[in-house]
Order: sequence, then C-alpha cells, then structure tokens
Amino acid sequence: MTLELVDPIEWTSVIEQIDGEFGDGVTKSLLGDLVPVVLSRGGSKTFFLIPTEWMYMVTEEEGERLDIQFIGKELGSIAKGRFRMSLQIIGELKELTNAFIIVTKHSAEAFTYGRSILKESVVELNPDLKRGQRVLVLNKDRECLGVASLSIDASILNRLSREKLVGKNLVDIGWFIRRLG
Amino acid sequence: MIERYLALWGEEETLNFLEACELPISSSIRINTLKTTNETVLSRLRSKSVVIEEIPWLEEGFYADFDGSSPGALMEHMLGFYYVQGVPSMTATSVLDPQPGETVLDLAAAPGGKTTHIGQMMQNTGMVIAVEQDRLRMASLKSNIIRCGVTNSLILRGDARKLDYLGFEIDRILLDAPCSGEGLIPLDPTRKTSKTMADVRYCATREDELLDAAVNVLSDGGTIVYTTCSIAPEENEYIVDDILNRYPELEVVEIPIDFGIPGYSEPFGVKLNESLKHSRRFLPHLHGTEGFFICKMMKKEGKVE
Repeated sequence: MTLELVDPIEWTSVIEQIDGEFGDGVTKSLLGDLVPVVLSRGGSKTFFLIPTEWMYMVTEEEGERLDIQFIGKELGSIAKGRFRMSLQIIGELKELTNAFIIVTKHSAEAFTYGRSILKESVVELNPDLKRGQRVLVLNKDRECLGVASLSIDASILNRLSREKLVGKNLVDIGWFIRRLG
Repeated sequence: MIERYLALWGEEETLNFLEACELPISSSIRINTLKTTNETVLSRLRSKSVVIEEIPWLEEGFYADFDGSSPGALMEHMLGFYYVQGVPSMTATSVLDPQPGETVLDLAAAPGGKTTHIGQMMQNTGMVIAVEQDRLRMASLKSNIIRCGVTNSLILRGDARKLDYLGFEIDRILLDAPCSGEGLIPLDPTRKTSKTMADVRYCATREDELLDAAVNVLSDGGTIVYTTCSIAPEENEYIVDDILNRYPELEVVEIPIDFGIPGYSEPFGVKLNESLKHSRRFLPHLHGTEGFFICKMMKKEGKVE
C-alpha cells in the first residue's frame, strides 16, 4: 500500500461527516498539529494522522521499500462514501462531543459482546440527538466502548418501553477478541 | 532432543527440565501506562478476584491468576489497560530500554506485545517501526496497536532480511527471531517430539540472516537485543558468536537487570566468545517460565578493524 496525501475533496467529505455527527470543529481538534494521510487498498481508504516530521515518508519515491500497513494514529476508513471512525480515536473523541450515550454496567458488558442498547440500559442521553445519529457508547466510568447508531429521537426516550431498541451497535472494543480470538 | 540436553546439562538437570515442562506456567500481564496506572488496574482486577503478584524486576509486569477465566475477555483488557504477555517477553523489552524520542525497530513484530511495550516505554514519542512478514499475523499486530493506544508506530509488511531500503537512523533494534520454539514445551508439549535437529538447523540459518540484516541497519552507538524462545544454544549463543566474529564493532554488553541465569560460553564443550556470559537465559526448571534467551549488544562508534 502507498502512503499518500489526502485528496482535498475527499478530506472535506470526511470533515463534514465527523463534524456532522460529533459537532463542529471536532475534526480540527482531533487533528491538532498532525497531518492527515491516506493508505488505499481496493475500494477502501484508511486515514491516519502523523506528525509533520514523518511527512518525508509520503514524498519518497516507491522503491523496494517494505509495504506500509499502518502509521501514527488511525482516524478511520471510508468505503462507499461512508466514513467509519477508528477504535483508536474514539477515546479522544469522547472529550470533544456531546453525542454519547451512557449505559448501565450490564449493558456495557453486553455491548462489548456485540449487543445493541435497549431503553432499560440507558443512564444518560442528550435529548437533542436524532434518529440515525452516531453516538459514542460510554460506561458509567465514562470509558468509551464503541459507536452506536440511534434508532430513535432521543427526545422520546422516556416514552419508550423497557425493551425498545435505542442504539444499534456499529463497532465495539470487543471486536478484537471476536475477530482474532 | 533429549540426548542434546543430556550432553548440555547432565542427567539430573535434564530430568528437572522435563518435569518442569509438565507444569503450567503462571500467567502474567503488563499494565499499559499509556492508558491507565498500575494502581487503577490492580484495584479493578482484584475486585474481580484476580490474584496479583509483583515481578521483582518489572515495574509494570505482574503475575496474574485469573482462576480459570479468560484474561482476554475482561473489560479492562478490551480497553487496552493490560496486555497478557509472558515474563521473558516483557523482560526483553525492558532490556532493550527504548527511550522517548528514539527510532526503534521491532523485527518479526506480530502479535505486537513487544511493539506496544516499546511504544509505552517511549511514551508515544519518536517512532517504533514494526516489521512483520506474515499477512495473517499482521491483523493481530494492528489490533493490538489500536487497543493499546500506541500512536508512534509505523507497521511495515515484508521480509525483515531486506532492510537495506529502510532509510532510517535506527537507535535500537529488538529482534525476537522466529525459532524452533524449544523453550515453549511447557506451553505446547507436542514440541518435545515434533521438533527435530533439522528444524533447529533451519531456524538457525534464518536467525543468522535476520540478525545480520539487523546489525547492518543499526546506527553506530546503537543497541540491539537478540532474543528467541528457544533454549537450543545453536539458535542462541552460536548465532551471537558468529555475528561477533563477522562484526568486530559489535560487543555483548551486561544486562543491568537481575533475572535468569548467564548464557553459555562453552555449550557442548564448544568454546565461544567469553562475553556471552553477559547474555541471560530463562529456563522452565529454574524460573517457572518458558525457556528464553536474551542477549544485548552495542555497535561501537567509529570504524573498528
């Protein structure tokens, strides 16, 4: 895979998706003084953030170098136009956004086994969040467990029955174990 | 295999070794201070009935008895608060002693225990370059980097014997060479009979090539730590002795941590470089761990004839 600078149009789309889900200026805060670069494979592209002093690796000519697989901090990947946040960045993201849901201890454990979130498990949810919105899933210690997609408008949470689905699991930290054993 | 160890150690020690290989090895963890503190993890694990015991020479390493449950299934593991890692493996990185801001090369890096430990010791500064050839093992390397919050890594896929094109000034190298795994018999008893002298010879050739390639790219004044999970002198002391003969600028240095026993300078009656006594060995019957060899070397500055 080749390390490249990001395409400005594609990067704008990434910023719009991250900021649209998690709040204006969030991408800029995540970026800090790092530089976004991209590794492409097949139809998917993975975005990484690297220090400026590593930039020479982007500009070097292809030779018999070893194949770069991962570099710096993984921001996320884009496939079919949709951006997916990396598990590596969500810990930082939780400090920058109000788009999160806090769940009970039992639900937190279940979420890391790939389960989704029911109304009875919700401890805290910002009422302004809308159906389809992506939210970080936190346990009661505010540790980030993954990302879910809201199945309802948060404003109607208290009108739902206990078993009603509130958040669909998109990715969680137990994924490593399930995938790799 | 047994005949070789009878020749190396004599009957009594070989018997002790074989008996020790039948005993389970204590599980151990390294706490990931990139994400948390020793106190936080120890308190949380103790509340889950995990029995913890310190490892005297490792500040962040602990024996951890999970009482039959899977150490990888706990929330604290998923959060990257600890890494389940053998005592010799975490000792190897401590011996390397990577410093913040340096450029460090980790060869044959998957699944990433030592890479993440290096990133931790460097406090996510400088760069740790992890090289791995195996496509399948690459997935576990990446996921452990992500889980442990290491952000100063560059992962490269390819043959670690072809490092000429790397183009970095390397301060330190950790080579945990793929080996016959004779030291892993306590973890995998089939190795007692599945590994032959031909395997040891094959691995020794590859280990020699890897170490040679690594020494070539190490900067003058740099440090290299060579390790294997084999107890065969042919894969350890013999390899280092050979490289010392080829590279006079390379010297074995003392390891300033107290663990294991000294390496052999006269295995099977073959006289090798005396400085090999500075290397260290873990042995199942003496230390209750898997067998392991650790040798620390420095490349002297300036041209050496």
